[in-house]
Amino acid sequence: MIWRLKVDTQHNRPSPSKFWNWFNPVGRQTSGWAFMLQRVTALGLTFYLFLHLIILGQLANGPQGYDSFIALVSSPVFIASELIVVAGAILHGLNGIRIILTTFGVSVTRQKQLFYALMVLALIIIVIFGIHMFTA
Amino acid sequence: MSANVQSVSTPRSGENSWWYLVKIVTGVLLVVLLGIHLVVNHFIGQHGLLTYADIVAYYQNPIIPIMEICFLAVVVIHALTGLRGILLDLKPSRPILQVMDAVMVIVGVVAVAYGTWLILVIKSRG
Repeated sequence: MIWRLKVDTQHNRPSPSKFWNWFNPVGRQTSGWAFMLQRVTALGLTFYLFLHLIILGQLANGPQGYDSFIALVSSPVFIASELIVVAGAILHGLNGIRIILTTFGVSVTRQKQLFYALMVLALIIIVIFGIHMFTA
Repeated sequence: MSANVQSVSTPRSGENSWWYLVKIVTGVLLVVLLGIHLVVNHFIGQHGLLTYADIVAYYQNPIIPIMEICFLAVVVIHALTGLRGILLDLKPSRPILQVMDAVMVIVGVVAVAYGTWLILVIKSRG
């Protein structure tokens, strides 16, 4: 089976031309979906992290600046956007646990089941956050 | 077994395995720190810390600024090492990689310095 490993390693070789493939959902198996999920959430969360740090600078302007900002982002559209960020973080974190476990040889042969179990857990946590964020 | 071997995540070419370990260690820390961050900011009180006064009061507990500075450093390191791993998939040439590394170090240091300043400002308002 060594030759298969060799062939697939070459197939997976990094290349700038594969950039759009990171986001292409067509023809993916479970492992491909897990890869895409981790990469899309990684890029989204990194962008959000720096946006978040910049916006929190409003706190230095005292209560007027910050509390009027919070009033602006308390609309349902902003809460829905916030839920997308929260969901991204939960999905990235739980899928990341699978990556770490398999890196150290844990659950390597059962990673598909592990992935599904963690995604069900992620969904439950996201629903709890969603219900809480949209209800008083 | 070959199928399993291929699907295990490993350091990328150009990614020192120590950086890969940094990504993993900060990842584990973030599961805890980001977990705390999300619960505090959504479940404390009615909907988390939503007003300026709430946040200033929260930072008066001496453990909070320490935890938040650690969280800031860990999340910035994880984000930038993760981003570097992704950028390595675009096979940058050596000079471009050196420029990217320099930019990421500067961004990281500035982000942590700025965030630490902000945390100390908030604490001092109490």
